[in-house]
Amino acid sequence: MNRWKNFTSGFVRENPVFGLYLGICSVLAVSTTINNALGMGVCVIITLLLSNVIISVMRDIVPNDIRIPVYIVIIASLVTVVEMLVNAFSPALAESLGTFISLIVVNCIILGRAEAFASKNGVVDSILDALGMGLGYTVSLLAMALIRQVIGTGVLEFTNPFDASQIIFSFTIIPSDFTVSLFSSAPGAFLTFGILAGLLAMYNGKKQEKAEAEAKAAKAAAAKAAAEAKLKEAK
Amino acid sequence: MGELFTLFISAALIDNIILSKFTGMCPFLGVSKKSSSAVGMGAAVTFVIFAAALVTYGLYYMVLDPLDIEYMKLITFILVIASLVQFVEMVIKKFSPPLYKALGIYLPLITTNCAVLYVVLENIAQNYNFIEMVVYSLGVPVGFMLVIVVFSKIRERLEAADTPKYFKGNPIGLITCALMAMAFSGLAGLV
Amino acid sequence: MNNIGYALIFMAIMVGIFILTYLGNKNTPKPEGCEDLKADCGGCHDISCGHHPAHTE
Repeated sequence: MNRWKNFTSGFVRENPVFGLYLGICSVLAVSTTINNALGMGVCVIITLLLSNVIISVMRDIVPNDIRIPVYIVIIASLVTVVEMLVNAFSPALAESLGTFISLIVVNCIILGRAEAFASKNGVVDSILDALGMGLGYTVSLLAMALIRQVIGTGVLEFTNPFDASQIIFSFTIIPSDFTVSLFSSAPGAFLTFGILAGLLAMYNGKKQEKAEAEAKAAKAAAAKAAAEAKLKEAK
Repeated sequence: MGELFTLFISAALIDNIILSKFTGMCPFLGVSKKSSSAVGMGAAVTFVIFAAALVTYGLYYMVLDPLDIEYMKLITFILVIASLVQFVEMVIKKFSPPLYKALGIYLPLITTNCAVLYVVLENIAQNYNFIEMVVYSLGVPVGFMLVIVVFSKIRERLEAADTPKYFKGNPIGLITCALMAMAFSGLAGLV
Repeated sequence: MNNIGYALIFMAIMVGIFILTYLGNKNTPKPEGCEDLKADCGGCHDISCGHHPAHTE
């Protein structure tokens, strides 16, 4: 039960992007199309998974004083490998993501999870945590990309990352006269991000308020029941 | 000379690394609540980006390229930036407490920061020669400092404004960034 | 093969320099008057920042 809770916390409760504001550099930059978002999300999940596993396996061997430098080196090596793989297998993705694949190495999510979780827990828990946070990141990224692509270009399109000429699906949702091209560019990124972050804060805040109100009500009811019982005894 | 000036202006204003390239957001959102800390942060970033650019450029063309190990550049650059910041902080702590008070405390926040790594990688990716590298590496932090100081002043005003309850703090700050980005993107026709 | 040898030696040197500077910085005390300066920041999810509690434990 605990494991499942850990896994799902990365989606809404502790959403790394809109809640904890981790890794926002890459989110703002690559959320222009669904292709980019999915590609970046997959790269981050792979890196996060491998780094969590390696660091969890090595957690007893690494001297405590220098663990952060060691983690940085491990993550940098992993990102170099991932970047080479992307360059080899999907040149279209490499070109549209550009330097941001290399910037995964300073993505706060990866080093953060390594330090907070993988260095203290076993391999299976670390894998679940990596998948949870990685999927939370990817889902948030996809949400932003969906909004930006549909409102910005009007077309919902997804091409095969390994073969740029093959279009898997392409729907024109908003005719091109009504698109707001602001959303495809920089200000639109900030705007979408700010609004989504505010909405998530509202959702979490209201949920917390409800939980607190229920706890209060339960307390009041329990106090009332205790008082009534005392009164009965006194009679 | 004209191209260098264009490079400087585009690095600082048009392709501003925060409002146009989106890197350097973590310290931007974190330290911009007071304008005094924003100035300190800007100074620290300027120093780190310039020093790191010089060292990594030198290392790339004098060691990695001749030895044919360019694929090590990401690992090398990260380690260089991190070691440089640790070293500089150590030196400042020992030799100049007033300087430490002014900008030393912001140094750790930019250790492995998107902005520094972005500039360093771009220097190589765009094949800048030495002078272009210097101009670019000075233009970018100037733009960063400008934006972070302006943003911190706006944010100080926002604290007193009547924003919707759940939008307070970062969400409304980001929407403000959107407006700033719109303003800066209008400068694109300058050069 | 020589190529990988250079790469490994280079990486070992760089990692060595990083660890030396990191430990040197960790063991240098802050000058007096600067003990409880905070960077006044909200960046505390950033583990690579030296002010994060993870570095001082």
